[in-house]
Amino acid sequence: MSMIKSLVVIPDRCMGCHLCELACSQKHYGVMSIERSRIHVVRLHHQPVDAPIFCLQCGLCITSCPVNAIKRDPKTGAITVQEEKCIGCGNCVHVCPYGAVSLDPVTRKALICDLCGGDPACVKACPVDALKYLDVDLAAKYKRINFSRLQTVVK
Amino acid sequence: MMVLHGYAGKILWVDLSRMEVRGKDLDRDLVKLYLGGTGYAARILWDMLEARIDPLSPENLLIAATGPLTGTLCPSSGSVEFCFKSPLTGIFGETRAGGTFGPKLKFAGYDFIIVRGRSEKPVYLYIRDRSAELRDASHLWGKNVHETTDILLRDLDEPDASVACIGQAGENQVRFASIMVDYDRAAGRCGGGTVMGAKKLKAIVVDGHGEISAAKPDEFFEAALEAINAVKIRATKGMGKHGTLGGLVNLNESGALPTRNFKTCYFEEAEKVSGQTLSEKYLIKKRSCFGCPIGCGRYIQVPAGEYQTPPHEGAEYETVDMLGVQSMIGNLEAIIKAGYLCNIYGLDTISAGNVIAFAIEAYERGIISERDTNGMKLRWGDPEVTLTLIEKIVNKEGIGRLLAEGVKRASEKLGKGSEEFACHGKGLEIPAHDARGTTKSLAIQYAVGNPRGACHIEPIWAPMWDFSKVDMGLRKYGLPWPPPSRFEETGVRRGEGYKLLVFFGELAGILGVCRFPLQAAEEESLNLDRLSKLTTTLTGFDLKPQDLLRISERVYNLKRCFNVREGVDRRSDRLPKRVMEPIASGPTKGVRVENLDGMLDEFYDVMGWDRETGIPKKEKLIELGLNDVAEEIWRSR
Repeated sequence: MSMIKSLVVIPDRCMGCHLCELACSQKHYGVMSIERSRIHVVRLHHQPVDAPIFCLQCGLCITSCPVNAIKRDPKTGAITVQEEKCIGCGNCVHVCPYGAVSLDPVTRKALICDLCGGDPACVKACPVDALKYLDVDLAAKYKRINFSRLQTVVK
Repeated sequence: MMVLHGYAGKILWVDLSRMEVRGKDLDRDLVKLYLGGTGYAARILWDMLEARIDPLSPENLLIAATGPLTGTLCPSSGSVEFCFKSPLTGIFGETRAGGTFGPKLKFAGYDFIIVRGRSEKPVYLYIRDRSAELRDASHLWGKNVHETTDILLRDLDEPDASVACIGQAGENQVRFASIMVDYDRAAGRCGGGTVMGAKKLKAIVVDGHGEISAAKPDEFFEAALEAINAVKIRATKGMGKHGTLGGLVNLNESGALPTRNFKTCYFEEAEKVSGQTLSEKYLIKKRSCFGCPIGCGRYIQVPAGEYQTPPHEGAEYETVDMLGVQSMIGNLEAIIKAGYLCNIYGLDTISAGNVIAFAIEAYERGIISERDTNGMKLRWGDPEVTLTLIEKIVNKEGIGRLLAEGVKRASEKLGKGSEEFACHGKGLEIPAHDARGTTKSLAIQYAVGNPRGACHIEPIWAPMWDFSKVDMGLRKYGLPWPPPSRFEETGVRRGEGYKLLVFFGELAGILGVCRFPLQAAEEESLNLDRLSKLTTTLTGFDLKPQDLLRISERVYNLKRCFNVREGVDRRSDRLPKRVMEPIASGPTKGVRVENLDGMLDEFYDVMGWDRETGIPKKEKLIELGLNDVAEEIWRSR
């Protein structure tokens, strides 16, 4: 059995180009839109921060959904939304700690990263390899690095 | 109505005199002929502006233009072009910025904003999707670019919005004021900020949540990913590595680094102000504009000391040469500070640097005295001179009042032979590429100055040909190859080569992408074949490479006709003496422009322009479908 993979970011590399957002909406909806994307690049103008924010697949949203529209795909481990069930209540947006979930401005259905079924478009479009889709053991190392930054003492 | 793929489909018309805004559909016939961007805008300016209007009057238009590729997955699609009649040159004005403004405008549902009239009080335009309104900006008047942007984003609760605004330079009607986008991306040239200031339009805020569709989504997606993969190598190997400043040392070693007000093309202290030095000492991180795999933007800071700055994007090649090297300043911290001041005041760094070097030379020659400068000695290599003059220009204090008019007007007022070293083409200050040391194609470019005078954008393809010897995939479309020596003038198909380079380059402004991805070797650039594939699959129009070049030719000729209507002809296709005379020192010592008229003859011939007048021939204009333009231009001749 092949190992499951995770989407990770190496934040030092991101230049804030937004191509991942357009690739995401193009792949899922056939249009280019930064609002219909499931990944969002945040730039803090007065700080050296360009960061793609995306679903970490924690699953908090699964139990928040009142109509059981959110499931986990056993093949990829990704969260999937059954759009025909989704009522657009926003509970999943509410519980997501990272702001990685939003509602599609057109359909008002939940937008959550489904890892493109195991072939993420954002990774293909990233020109600087800031986004990577890696086997979990290596992915976990990058996740730890990113998490450790939250504990950095800022002078 | 059928969807126009690749377009938002609407123009936002803003009348500041009446305080009205309304949306109108794009004109499909014009889209077919001009595609978009500066092409479509040129047609609007031709149709709607009376000849010889005062650029600072309410009659002038300010157009913010995007193209079909803007905001899409096409590499480097974060473009906005501002077009207007320039208060600096009196001819066609266009100036571009990256950032996110252009894409956000399209996501908001508009391809263009067209502003006319003049408000009585300062206002800003707030666009959120297809709603737009004018709001009071009294509280912003007098604030600099960074303060204005901070306040607007905070007060509107729009952290993702894009702000294009002016600083004090635009408010005070300095003729080379810039429009600043997303804090530090500059639409610097031709006085776009001056036009905004005259209209009392302090800022435009745009946020959009819409989408752009492609006619053939899957094919477009595939073509875009292929193009991104091609261009992205330059994030690490080319311009992305050390920014636009990365090439400075090489230019210096080749005798192509304009120095001391174009007296020479060699600077002893080049290493101290290089892109490598910038990366080592002042770079915080790279920042790209929307959709850009290259990321030439430098988020930098001078952390401490006399020239300390906050973090900002800056130290572009043009800025470092013009504000620093031209005045013989080898202190990169001081140059970064000077660039930062220009950014927050909304002042074009190229024109500012040019006019400051001019002032130093005029002082050296006794044409300006200490009485004019309030006791300040204008010395070469003195950062205090540059930093002080920037403040004086922005506030039009003392000698700054004269310099704020631009180098052409300043030299005309001063007289005493200062015209000979006032380095401009049609009133636009010459940038940091040299008509002798870089390539003689720039002699054509700066003299003809189409469309906007001595511009730093049009020439960036010219050196690729005979200076860098890179064909950008244009050989198969007729670029003479091998290229001639860059110092040869006539009889080497220079006019022919320059013509194709210009038509290729014009496409960036028409299609709404940055120029830089076009300017590289075929395999790693947004070359003509890739542009053709992307525009065809995006719009659904059949746009073969030759069709794109044809549209460019139409647009380039229309802009020339706009300028002809303003009084341009062969007599004004001239260069100042300084940039013709022999280079004083360095590897290109002694190189001069010998036969400008010969080069112009060859260029006019291949363009189908009349040799005697330099005006596009009637049959050429008719061939391009510009019958009404031909009629108007040739009616009284």
